[in-house]
Amino acid sequence: MNTSDTSGTGNTLDSFSKSAGRQLLVYALMSIAGVAALMVALSWASSLTGGASAGSQLGVDPELNMITLTLREEPPQLNSTLQTDNISGMVIAHLIEGLLRYDHNNQLAPGVAERWESTGMDATFWLRDNALWSDGVLVTAHDFVFAWRTAVDPANASEYAFILFPLENAEEINKGEMPVEALGVTAIDDRTLKVRLARPTAYFEKLMAFSTFFPIREDFYNQTNGRYGADAHELLYNGPFILSRWVHGANLRMEKNPYYWNPDRIKLDVIEFPYITSDQNALVNLFTDKKIAYTTLGAESLETALEKRWHLERFMDGSVFYIEFNFRSHRLTHNYHLRKAMQLAIDPAELVYKVTKIPGYVPAESIFPLWLRGVDDFFRQEYPAQKITPDLEAAKKHLEIAKRELGISEIPPLVMLTGDNPISNIQSEYYQGAFKKNLGLDIKIDKQIFKQRLAKMTSGDFDMVLAGWGPDYDDPLTFGDLFASWNLNNRGRYNNPELDRQVYIAQNEIDPRTRMEAFAEIQRIIIEDVVVLLSYERGLVYVTDPRLKGIVRRQAGADPDFTNAYIVDAAN
Amino acid sequence: MSATAFASRDFEPLVHTREAQSISRPSLSYWQDAWIRLKANTRALVSLYIVIALMAFTILGPVVWNVDPSLQDLDQISIPPGTDRRATLVAPYQPWDGTTFLEVTPGLRLAEPATTQSIRLLWDPVEGLSGYRIFRNLFPVGPERALGLPLAEHFSAQEVTFEDLLDLVPGRYYYSVLGVNEFGAETQYLETLVVDVSRVITVDDAMVRGLIDEAAELQLGDVLILGLHPLGTDYLGRDMLARLMAGARVSLFIGICAPFLYVLFGVIYGSAAGFVGGRYDQGLMRFADFVVALPFLLFMILFKIVFGIGPGESGIAPMLLALVVLSWPATARLVRGQILQIRQEAYISASQLLGAKTNYLVLRHMIPNTMGVILVTLTFAVPSAIFTEAFLSFIGMGVAPPTPSWGSMCNEGIKTMLTHPHELIFPALLISITVLAFNLLGDGLRDALDARMRSTE
Repeated sequence: MNTSDTSGTGNTLDSFSKSAGRQLLVYALMSIAGVAALMVALSWASSLTGGASAGSQLGVDPELNMITLTLREEPPQLNSTLQTDNISGMVIAHLIEGLLRYDHNNQLAPGVAERWESTGMDATFWLRDNALWSDGVLVTAHDFVFAWRTAVDPANASEYAFILFPLENAEEINKGEMPVEALGVTAIDDRTLKVRLARPTAYFEKLMAFSTFFPIREDFYNQTNGRYGADAHELLYNGPFILSRWVHGANLRMEKNPYYWNPDRIKLDVIEFPYITSDQNALVNLFTDKKIAYTTLGAESLETALEKRWHLERFMDGSVFYIEFNFRSHRLTHNYHLRKAMQLAIDPAELVYKVTKIPGYVPAESIFPLWLRGVDDFFRQEYPAQKITPDLEAAKKHLEIAKRELGISEIPPLVMLTGDNPISNIQSEYYQGAFKKNLGLDIKIDKQIFKQRLAKMTSGDFDMVLAGWGPDYDDPLTFGDLFASWNLNNRGRYNNPELDRQVYIAQNEIDPRTRMEAFAEIQRIIIEDVVVLLSYERGLVYVTDPRLKGIVRRQAGADPDFTNAYIVDAAN
Repeated sequence: MSATAFASRDFEPLVHTREAQSISRPSLSYWQDAWIRLKANTRALVSLYIVIALMAFTILGPVVWNVDPSLQDLDQISIPPGTDRRATLVAPYQPWDGTTFLEVTPGLRLAEPATTQSIRLLWDPVEGLSGYRIFRNLFPVGPERALGLPLAEHFSAQEVTFEDLLDLVPGRYYYSVLGVNEFGAETQYLETLVVDVSRVITVDDAMVRGLIDEAAELQLGDVLILGLHPLGTDYLGRDMLARLMAGARVSLFIGICAPFLYVLFGVIYGSAAGFVGGRYDQGLMRFADFVVALPFLLFMILFKIVFGIGPGESGIAPMLLALVVLSWPATARLVRGQILQIRQEAYISASQLLGAKTNYLVLRHMIPNTMGVILVTLTFAVPSAIFTEAFLSFIGMGVAPPTPSWGSMCNEGIKTMLTHPHELIFPALLISITVLAFNLLGDGLRDALDARMRSTE
C-alpha cells in the first residue's frame, strides 16, 4: 500500500513535470518560430518599400558594370554657379564638363573645347562639334556666356563670383556697377568663344576646369524657374554621367551619358550612391560586407582595417588647416604678442603624431601646402618656410608683453569656434588643454554645425576659429589671396597693406619667378605676423575594392574622380 | 437598614498588583518599521550601499585621487588599465639627418634603437626604381601582401631613410618598404622588418610631469615609472578615474537636484489641487496636462538661448530648469489622486468635526499618508534624470569640454569602442549601476513604506 502510494505520487509528479516540460518546449518553439516568421515577413516588407534603391547591391557588380559608393553628405544643390562645397563639386564634375578638364595624370586636357589659344590678355576657345547636352542638343559657346554671366550676376549671389574676377569687368558687374552684358566673354559664333581678361592671369587655363566655369543652357535654365540643379530632372548634363535618380536625403544614381562626346573613356555604366552617411563605423561595416567599393578611414577604424588585412592607400587632399584669429580691434587677438605667445606655445607635430593619428597628415609649416608647384620644382622646396620651434619661455614673455599692452592683468577666456565633427572636437580639446597647460590661457569651445559656424565666422563672432582651405585651382594664389583685405574668406578681417601688395603682384604678373617671390613674401608675413596658427595638411587613408581600378585622386578639382574607373573581374 | 461604614483607607488608590496589559516589544514608529522591512530586503539594502558608495566616490573620491581630470598626458594616450608603465629616460628629441646607423647589415634596418620617441629606418638604394612606399603593420605581412598603414611615399630612389613618429606605442611593428617604378606602379622590391618598440620618456617631459625633480637625479637609460592611471586614459591621455569622478559630480548633481526640486513642486501643486478640489482642481490639473504636452528638448534649447548660455559654457543650468519646469506634472497628478482619496476617509471627517484646521489636516494627515508615494516617485525620478543628463551630454547638449560627464564620456568612447573599449565601458557601467541601484532602492522603498504592509506581530 505504502509503496504503491509512493510510486503513485511519484508517477503523478513525474508526469506533471513531464507535461510541464513539454508545454514549455512547445511554447519556446512557438515563440522562436514566431520571431523567425516575423523577421522573414519584415524583411519581405522592407524589400517591397525599399524598392530598387537600397538592399541587394554589391560594392562592385561586374555583371551590371556598376559600382556602389557613399556620400558623406547630400549635395545642397547641383547648380554649378552656386556650388561651394567639395561634395557637390565632386558630383557636378561627374555630370558636367567645362571647356577643359583634368585627365587621369592630372594634366589639363581638352573638354568641350577642342583647342584653345591664349595671349595673356585674351583667350579663344574652339568648341568641338560632337559635344552634346543630354537631350541631344549641341553645346554652344552661348551656353558658356550665359553660365558665366549668371555666376557674376549680383542677383544670383554666388559665393564663388570672385573666381571670375580675372575676366574683364567681372568685379564691377558683381558690385552692381555694370550690366552683366559687359562681361569680357563673347560667343563669336556657336563654336568659338572669346574671353577678354581684366589683368594678365597666369592660372587662367586652370580655371576652365573649375565648376563655376561650367556651361548652362539658357532655355533650360529659364524653364526650371529658379530650381536649376535642385533635382535630377532640373539639370542638363554634358559630362560623362547623367543623374538618373536623386531621392533627397536618401540616394543618388548616376548612369553613363549616351551623348558624351568621348564614350570610350567612360567604362562604368552605373554609379550608385545608396547611402548618405559620414558615420565611420557604418562605412567600415558596409565595406566589410562588400556593399560599397570605396571608403575613407578614420583614426579609430585603422586597427580594424589592419586586422581585416585591407590594402590601405593614403592621399594628401591638398588642404591646409589652421586656426584663424579675429583681427577686429575690439578682440584681444588683434594683439601681436598674444598671437605670438600662442604660436610659440604649441607644436603641430604633437597634434598630428599623437592626437589625430592618421597617416597622411603632415604638420603644417606654411599656408602653402607641400604639393604646390613653384618655378621648376615644388614651391616649398624652392622657398622653404621659416620654421617655428615651440619655446615656452619666449611664449610666456610675449604673453606678459601682451597683458601690459592690453592693460589687463589676466587674459579672459578666448572663444574658439569649431565645427561639429570628430576631428574638430578632438583638435579643439587638444588645443584647449595645450593653451591651458603651457600659457594658463582659458579657451571656450564654441561647437557649431557647418552653416552656423559659417554665419558666425562671417559676422566675426569669435576670437579664434578652426578653419581649413582646400584649393580651387592648381596655383599658389588659391591660398595666397586668402588673407588679402578684400577677400570675403578672410573672416578675421586681417588687413596688411604689404600683404595686399604682394597678392596684387601675384595676381597681375605673368613671370613665374616674380609671382613665386611674391608668394614667398606672403608666406613670410603670415608666419611672422602670426596671421594664423598652422595645424596640419590633411591626408586621408582609404581602401578600395581590389576589383575597382582607375580612381584618380587630385588636390585641385573633383576628388575622387571615378570617370576613368573600371572593374577588373577576377573571372576574366 | 444597615449602614456601611467607610474607613479612610477605603479611599486610597489601589496598588498595582499585576500588569494589566504589557507591551512586550518596544513600539515602532512608521519610519522604524519601514527601516526594518527595508533591511530585510537584501536587494534594496545592497542598492542603498551602492548609492552611498557612489556618493563617497563623488565627494570623497577627488580628495583621495587628486588628479586634474583635464590634464593631458600625451605619453599615455588611450591606454587600458594595467598597462606596463616602465619607460626609459632618453635625451630630448633631435631631428635626424639620416646619417646615423647601428650595424652594417644589408636591407631594411634600424638606424637607431626603436623607441616610442621615433623609429628611424634605413635601406639600400635600388637601381631602376623611382621611389618607395613605407608601410607599417601591427600584424605580420602575409602572402596577400597586406602591408598595413601607408606611412609615407618617397619620390626618389636615393631617398632611403624614413623616420616614423606617428602614434608610436610599445609593442611590435612590421615595417615594409615597397619599390615604386617611374609610372607610380608597385614593383617586386619589398623588404620587411620586425621592430620591437620600447617606451621612452625625455628628461624634459619627465620633469614637466613631475616624475623626477632634477635632471641630475637620474641618468639617461635609467628606467622610471610613468604616472599611474588606475582605469587607463582617454583619447587625449586624460585620467579616466579622475574624469569619472568629475563626471559623477555633474551626473549626480542633475540626478538628485532636479528630481528633488520637481517632486517638491509637484507635491505642493498636487496637494493644493487635491485639497481645494472642485473647479480649481479642474483648472490646475488641465494646466498640468498642458505642461505634459510640452517637448523637453525644445525647451532645453530655448532655455539655453534665453539664459544666454554662450559658446563653450556648460548647459547644466538650463537642463536643470527644463527638467524642473517640465517634469513635475507626473508627481502632481499622483499626489492629487492620493489626497482626493484620503480626503474621503472617515478619520479626516472626524478630525474636521473636532475642529482641525486645514494646515493641521494637510501636514498631519495628508502628507504623511502620501509619503510612500512621494518617496517612491523621487527614487524613480533620480535614474530617469541621470539618464536624461547622459543622453543630452551624449548628443552634445550638456556639459562643455573639458568638463566631463558620464554621458559625454560615453559619446567619446563609442567612437573607439572596438579598439579601446575601456573608454566606453567604464562610464557606461557607472551609468548602468547607478540607474539600477536607484531603481532597486525605489522598489524596496515602495514595499517598505506601504502602510498596508506593516509588519504584523
